[in-house]
Amino acid sequence: MTYQSQRIAYAYFLASVLLFGLQVAFGFVSLAKYLGPDPLLNVLNFATSKAIHTNLLLVWVLTGFMGAAYYMVPEESRVEIYSVRLAYVQLALWLAIGVIAVVGYLFGVTAGRKFLEMPQPLKYGVVVVMVMFLVNILLTIRKAGRWTTTQGVLIGGLASAALLFVSGMIPFDNYTLDRFYRWWVVHLWVEGVWELILGAMLAFLLIRLSGADREVMEKWLYVIVGLTFLSGILGTGHHYYWIGVPQYWLWIGGVFSALEPLAFLAMTAYAYNLMRRSGLAHPNTLALHWTIGSAVMSMLGAGLLGLAHTWPQVNRWTHGTHITTMHGHMAFFGAYAMINLAMITYALPAFAGVPDESRDTRLGLWAFWLMVGGMFGMTMALAAAGITQTYLERIMGFGYLETQQKIQVHYLMWLATSIVFAAGVIAFIWDFAKAGLPRATVVKA
Amino acid sequence: MTKATTRRWFFIGTAVFTLAFIALTIHTHTTIAGRTHEDRLTDEVRRGAHVWARYNCENCHTLLGEGAYYAPDLTQVVQQRGAAYLTQFMANPAQFYSEARDGRLMPTLGLSTQEITDVIAFLDWVGRIDTNGWPPRPILTSGVAVRAMPGVAGVAGADDPSSRGKALFNGPAVCASCHSIEPGVVLVGPSLSGVVKAAEARIHDPQYRGTARTAAEYLREAILKPSAFIVHDGVYASPQRVSFMPDTYERTLKPEEVEDLVAYMMTLQ
Repeated sequence: MTYQSQRIAYAYFLASVLLFGLQVAFGFVSLAKYLGPDPLLNVLNFATSKAIHTNLLLVWVLTGFMGAAYYMVPEESRVEIYSVRLAYVQLALWLAIGVIAVVGYLFGVTAGRKFLEMPQPLKYGVVVVMVMFLVNILLTIRKAGRWTTTQGVLIGGLASAALLFVSGMIPFDNYTLDRFYRWWVVHLWVEGVWELILGAMLAFLLIRLSGADREVMEKWLYVIVGLTFLSGILGTGHHYYWIGVPQYWLWIGGVFSALEPLAFLAMTAYAYNLMRRSGLAHPNTLALHWTIGSAVMSMLGAGLLGLAHTWPQVNRWTHGTHITTMHGHMAFFGAYAMINLAMITYALPAFAGVPDESRDTRLGLWAFWLMVGGMFGMTMALAAAGITQTYLERIMGFGYLETQQKIQVHYLMWLATSIVFAAGVIAFIWDFAKAGLPRATVVKA
Repeated sequence: MTKATTRRWFFIGTAVFTLAFIALTIHTHTTIAGRTHEDRLTDEVRRGAHVWARYNCENCHTLLGEGAYYAPDLTQVVQQRGAAYLTQFMANPAQFYSEARDGRLMPTLGLSTQEITDVIAFLDWVGRIDTNGWPPRPILTSGVAVRAMPGVAGVAGADDPSSRGKALFNGPAVCASCHSIEPGVVLVGPSLSGVVKAAEARIHDPQYRGTARTAAEYLREAILKPSAFIVHDGVYASPQRVSFMPDTYERTLKPEEVEDLVAYMMTLQ
């Protein structure tokens, strides 16, 4: 850690890691409801527990992104953050909005749109937080007068994410239009501008972990984010197939979304090549694991498993089944959870002022392998559930409820593998806590 | 290839695809009113959309295949099950389903009569959106209908009317979403196992108010005017004695299709 104000990131990472734990807890509450009689049916129903599970995901991942920006921008621009106080006020406001939203859900206050359940007044609050964040970051960069491609892509991604969020705040009477513009937030976030954030964080980490030449790295970063937009913008069409839009979206969505894995493939190749050249020599082995892991797992989860059901000819049968749950879990984990965990493990020794070499990595490695193994198992269980569901319900014509009873065994596998995953999460939080609070003194990196 | 080249490639590419996306969006936006028959988007439907959101329905159910995967897709539920049944169901789901038997149960949400009417109007409207042919086969809430095998499911273009009727029953007319042909299996409506014998008995039932004189006539009447006779060994009608079965088949089925269905049901001895 080179700059005092990078310590802001610690507070963001701490919040992020704790919310991750809470997200997993609500995942278990929801999963339990798949397995059997629900004692909480009229107290905390599935709709509520599931909305909290997915909202916490968005909140912790975004908290991680903002923390990463507060860590990366001082190093990239070689300057302290413009206002440390503003950054802490922003975090407090952001978390307050999150807490109010979750408490609201528990009492049935919801906007009822998947992923965007936050009531409208809180959404205005989110906009305020995003403006505070972007102003602070941009003033920092202006103060330094030094702009790098890596941080440009990062800030570009975060600013576009804020802009797109606004399109989800416009109300529509027509349900088809409501769906159409809802995807401007959800799709263009996770299959568009969030990939810029992912690419930038990956580039930042790879430059440091492999010692590669920045010019070369940033040249390829443009190729990666170029591929993302080339495929991802018109790829939005794969969410439009069946919601009441003209038929041309079938082939536009099909063709362009089928190209979406290219960006992920490029990221994997990017990471693989660098690591091969540098010989994985960096002493922060945990950060290396999470960085390479993210590049590989996002390719599998977001790229390959997305491709598996993106063609309209396949999607017309699988749409609305656990095939989506399968893809969603591994994609979010591989792309957005793992890159955050990579950044956190990269920054953690620096916060604590401990040299990378002297860090005990056993617990951290357990966390990595339990999470990766658990998520792989969960994806397999959900794939079995999704394929069986598609076949029985959509092709054979069994009723939804009968089909659900026939795939219970896969839910048991989902539970078993989730426990492995959760053990990894606990190990990660423990390891994070063990590293201790950040030290005030500046340690030259 | 230099960084300047890839940067230029990124910015030009992004601009081109963004513009293409915006152009397509403008075109799509102008077609939505027609494809969703917006003229039928009444205040009731609007209020129903708010009910759908306020009760967080899509975090259990899917609609147009979007939402959560914990409860059935409701895209065509009004066309399949009818407003009368859904009104009773939403007031008290436990009347029709049990966790012990069905694995899952919808919570009692405490919806007002107005909210129920509105959300049914909304779902009815959604069910008529032009979805490019999705779902390719009806998605059922409960019930078993093995439609994949022609020998079992009937053949739409067959010479035999009962085979055509069977294909309709299991396919486009979605009878199978509420009626089982297994003895004693109640989905929403009564089981149609042995319905011919039952029909012969019912036309002599003192409560029967219809005009049928034969089993075939009774079955035809039951399709077109479901409330003519309410089967009394289960909950199949509202307290006002309106059958849960939709009374829309006179409009949605062609007369020859009704005859095919009757021919098929006459085989259910």
